[in-house]
Amino acid sequence: MIAAVLRVMVLGLVRDRGALAMAFLLPPLIFVIFAAILSGVSGDEMRLKVAIVDEVRSNQTDRLVRAIDQEPALRRHRLESADEQGLRAAVLAGRADVGLIIREALAGQAEGPPILVIADAGRSMTGPILAGHVQRLVARELPGVSMRRMVPAVEELAGGLSPQQNAALDAGMQAMDESGGDNDQQSEDGGLVLIETLAGRSGGANVSYYAGAVAVMFLLFSAMQGAATLIEERNSGIIDRLAVGPAGTDVIVIAKFLYLTLQGLVQVTLIFLVAWLAYGVDVPGRILPWLATTLLAATAAAGLALVMASACTTKQQANTISSFLVLVASAIGGSMVPRFMMPPWLQDVGWFTPNAWAIEAYHGALWRDETIGQLLPAFWPLAMAAIVGLLAALLLSRYRLQLG
Amino acid sequence: MLQTDPPNEAAAIDVPAAAPLPALDVRQLSVQYGARRVLNGLNLSIDSGEIFGLLGPNGAGKTTLIRAICGRVKHASGHVHIAGQSNRKRQSLRRIGLVPQEIALYQHLTVRENLTTFGRLSGLSARQAANALTFAMKATRLNKRADEYVHTLSGGWKRRCNIAAAILHRPSLLILDEPTVGVDIDARNALHTVIRDLSRTGLAVLLATHDLDQAQTLCGRVGFLRDGSVTHVGGPAELLHDMFGTKRELHVDLFEPAEWATASKMKRVGFSDHPNGMEWSMLIDASAQRQTELTNALRQTDLRIKEIRFREPGLDSLFLRLTTEDRST
Repeated sequence: MIAAVLRVMVLGLVRDRGALAMAFLLPPLIFVIFAAILSGVSGDEMRLKVAIVDEVRSNQTDRLVRAIDQEPALRRHRLESADEQGLRAAVLAGRADVGLIIREALAGQAEGPPILVIADAGRSMTGPILAGHVQRLVARELPGVSMRRMVPAVEELAGGLSPQQNAALDAGMQAMDESGGDNDQQSEDGGLVLIETLAGRSGGANVSYYAGAVAVMFLLFSAMQGAATLIEERNSGIIDRLAVGPAGTDVIVIAKFLYLTLQGLVQVTLIFLVAWLAYGVDVPGRILPWLATTLLAATAAAGLALVMASACTTKQQANTISSFLVLVASAIGGSMVPRFMMPPWLQDVGWFTPNAWAIEAYHGALWRDETIGQLLPAFWPLAMAAIVGLLAALLLSRYRLQLG
Repeated sequence: MLQTDPPNEAAAIDVPAAAPLPALDVRQLSVQYGARRVLNGLNLSIDSGEIFGLLGPNGAGKTTLIRAICGRVKHASGHVHIAGQSNRKRQSLRRIGLVPQEIALYQHLTVRENLTTFGRLSGLSARQAANALTFAMKATRLNKRADEYVHTLSGGWKRRCNIAAAILHRPSLLILDEPTVGVDIDARNALHTVIRDLSRTGLAVLLATHDLDQAQTLCGRVGFLRDGSVTHVGGPAELLHDMFGTKRELHVDLFEPAEWATASKMKRVGFSDHPNGMEWSMLIDASAQRQTELTNALRQTDLRIKEIRFREPGLDSLFLRLTTEDRST
C-alpha cells in the first residue's frame, strides 16, 4: 500500500514539469549563484575595478600604478577623462568600483596624505579594501617611501638628525626603493604580524558551507510543498475514501514521509554534485558522513513538513505558514548569512532550527573531516525532529479524520 | 445488466454472500457535537440490493450519519452494523465503498492508474487489483476512457470513475454522497443506470441527495432526515399516496414575489410558498372544474404569473411540506 502511494507521488512530480524544475533544477542553480557570489566575497575571485588619476607622474608614482596594474585583486578602469572630475563621475556612475588619485609626491613633505581614495557610499567597503591594497603595494614596491614618511616623526622624537645621519638614511632608503619588489611578501608589514590563511582540505570553506546551507533550505521548501498534497487529498475526499479501507491515514502519512525523504536525498545529491564537480568540495572522500547528514536532514524536513500539513486546514494556509517558517528558520539558522555574523542571542536562537544543525553537520563532515561519531551532537536534533515530526503528523492526521 | 459473478481473484476477498442480515443496520444512533445533538436515536436499515435515498435539508445531519456509519465519529449511544458486524471493528469498514461528493481521485493519473492505486490501497494484491480494475471499469462502462487522465475527463466520466474507485474491493454497502452533482442530464441518466446495475448485483446503496427527482426515479425506499432521526421511510409512491392521496398539485410560478396582502390571502385559501417567495403550491381535488375555477381566480389577482401548472405531487412536494412544517414549528 505504501508503494502505491509512493507511485502516485512520483508520478505527480514527474508529470508536473514546474514542480520537477522546482525540486531538482532550482536548488543546484541557487547554490551555483550563492557559491559564485561567496567565493568572490571571500577574496578568491573579487577583483575591484579601480580608476586612477596620477597628478604627479614621477618614477615612484609610475611604479605604484604599474604595481596596481599587476595586482590580481585589482583591475584598472581606463578613464575617458583622466582628471579628478572624470574619476569621480566614473565612480558615481558605477563604471569604476573605486577611484584613486595620487595628488602629491609619495615621499614629499605635504601635510595631508598624498593619495586620495574615492568610494561610492553604496560601495563604501571598497575604500578600505583599496587603501589596504595600496599600503601593501607601497610597502612592497617602494619601501623607502614608507620609511621616508616616518623620518619627520623620528627626527622630532630624537631631537633632530645630523647631516651625516640624514645622508646615510637617504642612501639607505634609495637602496631600499631600488631593491623594492624583491621583499618577501610575509615581511611587508615589518615582521610584526604574519598573516596565514587556513586552506581547506578541498574546495572553498564558503562553498562547502553554502552547499549545506542551500541544501537544507531547499529540503524544507520542497518538503513543505510535497507535504501539502496531504491537504489536497483531505479536501478532495481521497482521505475520506481511504479511511474506510485498511490503509487509513497512517499509510498515507508514512508513504509521504518516505517519498519526501527520497526526494530530499535526490535534491541534496544534485546540489553536492555541483559542489564537487564545479568547486572541488570533496564529497566522494567523505561519502558516509555526508550521506548520514543528508539522510537525517531529509527526514527532519519531511517530519516537520508533515506536521505542518497535518495541522493546516487549507493549502493556502499551509503555503503561507510554511513560507514564513522556512524563511525565518533559514535566516536565523544560517542558510542565508553565516551565523558567526549574527549577534550572540540570535546565534543561540538559531539552534532551534534544523538549518543550524544540518549546516553544522555538513560543515563538520566536509570541512573539518569529522567522523560520524563526532557528528552525533548535530545528528541527534535532526533525528529527533524527524521522529517527533512523523509521530505528531500521524496523530494529527488521525485526529483530523475524526473532525472531518 | 451487470454480471453478478465476481472475478475469481476478487472472490477471494472476504465478501459475504447474500446474507439474510441487512447490509446496513443502524439502531438508536445518537451523535453529539459538544452540547448539540445532531443524530437523535436514529434507526435505519438497508437490505442487500436495495437503493435507499436519504433526503433532508442542509444541516439535517446527512454528513454526520455517513461519517458515523464509516466509523469516523463516536456514537453517544446506539450501534451501526455493516453486514451484521459492528462498525467498531475496523474489518467491518472494509465492507463499505464510499463515494464522496468531491471527485476523490488523483487528477494527474489516468483512470486505470487511479483504479489500480485505490485497488492496492483497498488491500488487494496486484493480481486482485488487476481483476478488480476489469470488474469496476465494466460496471461503470469506463473501458474506453481507461488511459485518459482524470483531469481531462468531463464531469460525468469523472463521476463514473469516482464510483468505480469505491467498488474495487466489492463492498456490501455503497454510500453515494450527491453522486450526480454538476453533471448534465445524459450523464446523470447514465450514472443512474450504473447505480441500478450495481444494486442488481446485490450491492446495498445509500444515496444521500438533494436531487428529489433522482431519489424518486432511483430509490426503492427513501427517508427524510429531520431532527436527528429518519422519518417518513417508505417507497416514494407509497409515501406520496399516504401524504397526498388522489390530490393533484397546483403550482404557480411568479415573476416577482407576491404583495404582502395577496400573499396572506393565498395562504388563507391553502397555498404554501417556497422560501424564495416566487413559487406557490396547493393541493387540490383532481376535478377539471376545480382546476378551471382556481386558474381563473388566480388570473384576476394582481400577481405577475409566469406559469400555472397542475401535476401529480412528487417527493419535492413532500420535502417542501415537511420543511415548511419544520420551519413553522
